[in-house]
Amino acid sequence: MHLTDHISDVQLNEYLDNEIANRAEIEAHLDSCDECAARLFAFQTLFADLDSLPEVTLSTDLAARFRPRPSLPAQLPRWLTLTASLQAAAALVALIVAIPFFSIMLPQVELPSFTTWLFEIQSLWTSWLNTLSTFQLPITQFPNLATYPVELSTLFIALAIVSIFWLFGNGLLLRNRHS
Amino acid sequence: MNAPTDRDLILRARRGDAEAYGDLVARHQTSVFNVCYRILHNRADAEDLAQETFIRALDRLHTFDLEREFSPWIRRVAANLCLNHLDAHKPSAALDEERDEDNTQGPGEQVEVKERSEQIRSALASLPSHYRVVVELRHYQELSYDEIASELDIPLSDVKSHLFRARKLLAEKLHAPD
Repeated sequence: MHLTDHISDVQLNEYLDNEIANRAEIEAHLDSCDECAARLFAFQTLFADLDSLPEVTLSTDLAARFRPRPSLPAQLPRWLTLTASLQAAAALVALIVAIPFFSIMLPQVELPSFTTWLFEIQSLWTSWLNTLSTFQLPITQFPNLATYPVELSTLFIALAIVSIFWLFGNGLLLRNRHS
Repeated sequence: MNAPTDRDLILRARRGDAEAYGDLVARHQTSVFNVCYRILHNRADAEDLAQETFIRALDRLHTFDLEREFSPWIRRVAANLCLNHLDAHKPSAALDEERDEDNTQGPGEQVEVKERSEQIRSALASLPSHYRVVVELRHYQELSYDEIASELDIPLSDVKSHLFRARKLLAEKLHAPD
């Protein structure tokens, strides 16, 4: 390249990118040529603009997807599980052994048989249905508010059933959440 | 205790340690996201592509040369993915109007910096996709012409012409007299 020839834009780009061999020759020309120096300065300004671009912050944590999920509550140690099983077995054996003693010591306690218990539930259920079929809202009998149209025992049974369903449902929900 | 090196995390991730790969992602997610954001100029797309970059990287982790630096490698993967994305999708998505933050300056200067940054991002986003990626690889990832040619699998002459034309266009947009 003659010193009188101007440097092309391509050469200026290569010079700024350190991708040109004859750097000394280019620099010598730039020292003496205002026009080429001005074009070099324009490119340098552009480079500075590009370098000035600040980093933008992420709005989400990409790493979370790759990390393992939070683990389930730690399981009990095996020895403790075994101990609990042994305790349960021992309690069962103790109960079987103790039943004859209890039957001797507590002869006066008479527990209702299973069929009696079932019959009682059935009659309660029937009376509940009867009450429901004849139930009507009091119109002006405010003084009779204290008398309950439904037996309390029936209400307790209904409450117990609802509670059992509630516990069962929540248990299922918790199990599904952990799995 | 010293923080584990990228190499340590990669070795652990190769053995299936998800926590280690999560740490590696946390370490490089901002720079990878910025590569995508500079090229795509759309936050949602940039986040998707950054995520995709780390998924691809995980698949290729066993082929990664441990003698090399992880950061330049993952950023080149991101740039390539963005180029493929731009080639596959027409630039129909609305570009972000997000302004860059700089809390080190006063309110007046901050506004000026934000406006200038937005002008630069818009100018970059207006370039053809191949020009954008060449500018990214040269200016922000500091690859040589040969490395860019090899990375994009294009002739060296194309690298030079893409870069030169991209800069011409950028200069016209950014330094045009008002």
